[in-house]
Amino acid sequence: MDFREELWSIYREALPILLVALLGGLFSGLVLEELLESVERFPGLLVMVPVFLATRGNVYGALGGRIASGLHQGLIPPAFAWNDRLVNAAVASFVNAIAISAVIGVISWVALQLLGWPSAALYELVGIMLIAGSLTSVVLVFGLLAVLFAGYNAGYDPDNLVGPIVTTLGDVFGMLFLFVAVFIVEVVFV
Amino acid sequence: MAAQGSLGTWDARRIVRNMFPLLLVLCTVVLWAGITLEEAGALLEEYGVLAVMVPTMVGAGGNLGTILSSRLSTRLHLGTTKFDPYDRVLWANVAAVLALSFTVFSALAIGAWLIGLLTGSSLGLGILLAISLTSGLSLAVIAVVFSFITTYGSYRLGIDPDDTTIPIVTNLVDVFGMLIFIGVSTLLLG
Repeated sequence: MDFREELWSIYREALPILLVALLGGLFSGLVLEELLESVERFPGLLVMVPVFLATRGNVYGALGGRIASGLHQGLIPPAFAWNDRLVNAAVASFVNAIAISAVIGVISWVALQLLGWPSAALYELVGIMLIAGSLTSVVLVFGLLAVLFAGYNAGYDPDNLVGPIVTTLGDVFGMLFLFVAVFIVEVVFV
Repeated sequence: MAAQGSLGTWDARRIVRNMFPLLLVLCTVVLWAGITLEEAGALLEEYGVLAVMVPTMVGAGGNLGTILSSRLSTRLHLGTTKFDPYDRVLWANVAAVLALSFTVFSALAIGAWLIGLLTGSSLGLGILLAISLTSGLSLAVIAVVFSFITTYGSYRLGIDPDDTTIPIVTNLVDVFGMLIFIGVSTLLLG
């Protein structure tokens, strides 16, 4: 294939997915703009945002990659069935996602103390992360599996679906649940 | 139904044990992006439309890096590339990533500008395009460089690039995305 043909074939293949991810990103940006109002109440909230969003990709990207390979190898069924491998992979993602969320709260708080910047209380930051992390994990694990199974059954290669699904769902639900978590912690710890 | 002992790499405890240390390292790396965002809090409050752009600025670079890395890995596995600088297909891949980033970051500026019209932002389309394209294209170049280094590096070390490149490239590019975006915005608006 010559240079121009190759270039445009990659471009055409990737663009629709990137534009869907852009819509998800803009929505999540709107939520972030709303969240700025809570920064005064919880100083240090902004430190956690990029780390929280990046971790979504790391945890659920790995789950998606594993499920995609499992589907290709015929190790797991393309449906919500009680399968030992499927259950173990899902449980591991819940554990990783929720535990790392608590860690993000702690390391952000420590970083703020070291820098001598104003910060919310440790339990507030960890509380926000635990609520946001738990809510996001439920939607992402089940949402990712549902879309991968549906895609696989419709004849799509699950390997090509994982990246964009994780980024888009992670951005949208990650920010949305972060907003919800801030609201809940605000009401609980007045 | 398989017994627990035969789960092998699908055992939940094993997945968590293997992944959690990596998640901790990645969290600490991306914390840098969080600190940059917190530091830019005042700028974001003044120009809320910048906050709308943040998730895409952080996510899109990683998406572009992922597209290139997984294509490079696949070509390495198939034995169709040897990182020869005269390989035209390799350059077609790089050109496609740059063309995609030009499109996506122009669309991001337009999207943010439209949202700004609704939310009463003072920033015009021209300045948003300047911020988005300067940061976005620099970021795309960094994503390309990191994709090459990590794919080639893990190939030389005998590690399957599929397992290493995506987390490394996405997280590093996340950090650079934030640093460049905040740096460029401060420079052009400050």
